[in-house]
Amino acid sequence: MFELDQRIAEQLTEVSLNSSVQVRCGNSNAFMVAASTMVPLMQMFEMTGVYICATRGAVEVIEAFEAIGVDVSQIQFVDLVSAGILGGTDVPYTNITFVDSPIMLESVLLRTLYILRISSSARNFVLLDSVNALAIYNEERMLAEYLHTFINTFRQRDVLSVILNVPDQVPPMVLSNLDLYCTDLVDRGQVVIH
Amino acid sequence: MQPATVYSRDRCVTGIHGMDEILRGGIPYGSTVLASGTCGSGKTTLAMEFLVRGALAGEACAHFTATEPSVKLLENMRQYAFFEMSMIDDGLINVFDMDVLYSWLGLDKASFDLDDVHALIKAIVDIVNTIGVTRLVIDSVTTLCYKIKSEQLIRDFLFTLGKKLATLGCTTILISEITSATENAHWSSFGVEEAIADGIIVMGDVERMGHLLRFLQVVKMRGTAHSRAKHAIELTPLGVMLTPMLKWGAVTDKTSKWGS
Repeated sequence: MFELDQRIAEQLTEVSLNSSVQVRCGNSNAFMVAASTMVPLMQMFEMTGVYICATRGAVEVIEAFEAIGVDVSQIQFVDLVSAGILGGTDVPYTNITFVDSPIMLESVLLRTLYILRISSSARNFVLLDSVNALAIYNEERMLAEYLHTFINTFRQRDVLSVILNVPDQVPPMVLSNLDLYCTDLVDRGQVVIH
Repeated sequence: MQPATVYSRDRCVTGIHGMDEILRGGIPYGSTVLASGTCGSGKTTLAMEFLVRGALAGEACAHFTATEPSVKLLENMRQYAFFEMSMIDDGLINVFDMDVLYSWLGLDKASFDLDDVHALIKAIVDIVNTIGVTRLVIDSVTTLCYKIKSEQLIRDFLFTLGKKLATLGCTTILISEITSATENAHWSSFGVEEAIADGIIVMGDVERMGHLLRFLQVVKMRGTAHSRAKHAIELTPLGVMLTPMLKWGAVTDKTSKWGS
């Protein structure tokens, strides 16, 4: 039986539309933490939004939500993974758009802004899954700069940004910058013993 | 203390997402702007959106096409939600094939002399004057200038045309095709267009790990302060969208190492 972490929903009652929330998770609980964040945003706070899939393809994410009985048809997915796989963009869902590669960071931002421009909802979120996946392709300084731009762009537009990461695998400079830029922290990360 | 009064020129608000912010309000009225770019960089889309936004604001607009037939141009434009065919049917945007114009003027020849150039300028100015055009696009000035063999004649053509259009209050975008938009590249094909133009907008690609990202950069715009930063472009159904390019990712030269 899949159980959502209700304490995340409680924590999210404290955030506002122009907040930026850093959500720390571990390798083993990543989907549970993502779902425990998404579900209250959609169901409790009646928000719509954009889910940026950098860790795995959007179809896999949608199917994972469907498997736990969560309807994500109102969410738009920006998939940075599948265009790198031949045949990966041939999908049965209409709420997925593809970006060629996770290195095209500006395109991801513009594609997300485009989706928000055509959204009829005034209450939107953007969930980035995950910083770790972007760190595979993008150099540390560029990624830190991108997250700075990303967070401020959405804060300025009153769009809640949620940034998922596995902290012990994020480059230190990126992580320390995230700590600085984000207004809130949901910490479900792994305990690391140095 | 009262702030000093600063004179500012009236602007042609482009209506293109991000563009007016870059230009601190828009293109100064009556300017001739060179939009130089490599193939596939979005020059035609940008120029057409410039006309569409003008038409939506009630301005009369004209597009002279020399690179592709108007039918093909309009067919390509139909994929964009910002463009409506009714704008053509209602005469808000007037599209002219240069080949047809050449035929009208009896200019069916390989190269133009001084008289031909003057006849061409007069024809374009007459059209602008008759319709009351306030936004004009010539796509492309490169194709057009291939018929003008002397550099001096090209200079005269562009200078005279720009001056006459400015007098009529017409803001003009001249599209220029270039093969490279890197730091050392020229911003025009013949090297004279950039000196004549009031503004230069460069469009091209940044290569990052084998992927091409479109960019736009305003390198010159007389009569206004403006950003000179590189901006990433996305061509969306709603039109061009712009965002500042990441500083650590804006290496244009294909031989340069990304991010270095």
